[in-house]
Amino acid sequence: MHGVKRYNHSRELLEQKRQQDKQRIVNYRALTAQTLDARDAQIYTAQSLELTTSLLSTNPEFNTVWNYRRDILEALHPGARPSSEAFPEDELEFTMAQLKRFPKVYWIWNHRVWVLMYFCRDNAAVWRRELAIVDKLLSMDARNYHGWHYRRQVVAQIERIEQRSLDRSELEYVTQVINRNISNYSAWHQRVQLVTRLFQFKELPAEEMHTLLRGEVDYITNALYTDADDQSVWFYIKWFITNDVVKTTLPSDEYAKMLRGLRDNVVLINEDDVEFSGSDNNWCLKMLIVIEGALKDAGVESNAEYSKVAAEYLNKLITADPDRMNRYKHLLGSE
Amino acid sequence: MSELQLLKEKHIQYIKSLDSKTNDLEYWLSEHLRLNGVYWGLTALCILKSKDTFTKDDVIGFVMSCWDPKHSGFGPFPRHDSHLLSTLSAIQILATYDSLDSLNTDGKLEKCVEFITGNQQADGSFQGDRFGEIDTRFSYTALNALSILGKLTPKIVDPAVEYILKCYNFDGGFGLCPGAESHAAQAFTCLGALKIVNRLDALTPSQIEETGWWLCERQLPEGGLNGRPSKLPDVCYSWWVLSSLSIIGKLDWINFDSLRKFILEAQDNVKGGIADRPDNEVDVYHTIFGLAGLSLMGFYELDPIDPTYCMPTSVTKTFKQYPY
Repeated sequence: MHGVKRYNHSRELLEQKRQQDKQRIVNYRALTAQTLDARDAQIYTAQSLELTTSLLSTNPEFNTVWNYRRDILEALHPGARPSSEAFPEDELEFTMAQLKRFPKVYWIWNHRVWVLMYFCRDNAAVWRRELAIVDKLLSMDARNYHGWHYRRQVVAQIERIEQRSLDRSELEYVTQVINRNISNYSAWHQRVQLVTRLFQFKELPAEEMHTLLRGEVDYITNALYTDADDQSVWFYIKWFITNDVVKTTLPSDEYAKMLRGLRDNVVLINEDDVEFSGSDNNWCLKMLIVIEGALKDAGVESNAEYSKVAAEYLNKLITADPDRMNRYKHLLGSE
Repeated sequence: MSELQLLKEKHIQYIKSLDSKTNDLEYWLSEHLRLNGVYWGLTALCILKSKDTFTKDDVIGFVMSCWDPKHSGFGPFPRHDSHLLSTLSAIQILATYDSLDSLNTDGKLEKCVEFITGNQQADGSFQGDRFGEIDTRFSYTALNALSILGKLTPKIVDPAVEYILKCYNFDGGFGLCPGAESHAAQAFTCLGALKIVNRLDALTPSQIEETGWWLCERQLPEGGLNGRPSKLPDVCYSWWVLSSLSIIGKLDWINFDSLRKFILEAQDNVKGGIADRPDNEVDVYHTIFGLAGLSLMGFYELDPIDPTYCMPTSVTKTFKQYPY
């Protein structure tokens, strides 16, 4: 159970619940037995489909019943046409109603994917509609792990059918999401995937790639000034300054200039924090080590220079961030 | 205020009470997790050095009643369809009771291995059952079960490893499939799977450093661990994060004392059991993972737990080490 408050029920309340449960248990177990009997008898009819609807409405976690439901659907609609224009609206409505009540139940998400793949996998229109739906779901529950996974699955299907990449429009989407809430790590994660793919598959002309990367530097610098305590931005920056895409696309002098600029900003933000709260910003220190390391790897700084400043920051972190002190000690030892 | 204590006896009583809750609707609504629940309960009892609280023959009888003759493998409850998740629980329970020979009748062992390997896809991934859900949870489940049965082969392992490596992310974490966001539970399944097949060396030392960094940043100021950045702490991550750190040899990269405090505060002082966080309702899932976390950190003289298998080390030390 996640996030369910503990109540210490009185004896009377418990007794009341027991009484209520009594009839519910009888009904639930009867419905379960009836459904599994129908399954064993291989009854694949509209009536048996209805049984699974009742049971799954009460208990969406009953995966065996989802399985039976799929067997029924296959029997009722043998050889569904993959490019069908008739969408399985009943099934989609049912799963959507379930998802609204239980947004974290794996089986429901999977069933929806299965339905779409079985009935109309080659119809772009249905997947386009799914994309709009998942937009809405993610606007209500912006970190839903299943929702983001579902979005990637939907996008992949549209790309397969339409034979074109959606990376640029998806990048616009994650930018909007991040602008709404800078701490949305799911969106930052997706940003890494998209930027990487844009470069990997050379989806932009060379000049635009440069523009995009320069834009990213401004974007992350702004993000830092918005919330310097948020892990999401820092993990993105760590990736941005150390990954091959950026290192090989930017000319080396520009890459070094970018690193120095970033370092200046991080130092500034940290100084602000020291002035304001009297102590260093841990993430600033952690990232300064990464930036110095990148400068060393780029041949801008010597090993000795790097070791000296890194040791300085690590020693600070041992006291500033004691929960993780053993990591810093380990890094000091391996310098 | 007196110092927080681990309520060992209360937790034993709580776990013991679970099977007598047939008057609660929730008992019936959670049939789909029953075999997993038995595994969690039994493992928790082992950690508490109270394995005999359950009656061995009854438990084994229940496990065998979950065999799915139509698809092979084990369902989570009699008459339920088999799934990799419940199949692993069944095998773990049998192994814990040193009773894997229960699979020797009617060719169950061979059928079980066939069910597991039959769910592997061309790209090395595993689906949970015949309906195609792919998840690195199932890679772990499959490799763990096959390892306990001593049935790993390069034909299964090599593509499985290749797939898991594709799930390694820019931040050092792992996702449920390639391109999916890092999640601490997926870090456990991926690292655990690699460890089981003795292929942690497929990750470079610097990749492992990144993994350790991402994992240790899961600890929040209140001591608890979260599963993803900017999420609330939850006792179950005491296992998913800590076991992962342990597998890569960086267990001490978090603060033990504050995590211990967080776990103890999530105990129900009246009826026993551990919740996801303080003041929430307890369940057997958070009870085992809270206890397992405490065991990994070496507190309270609990029975040692194997970070890779989440089973007592006294059991896992008997497993055949791959490559055979």
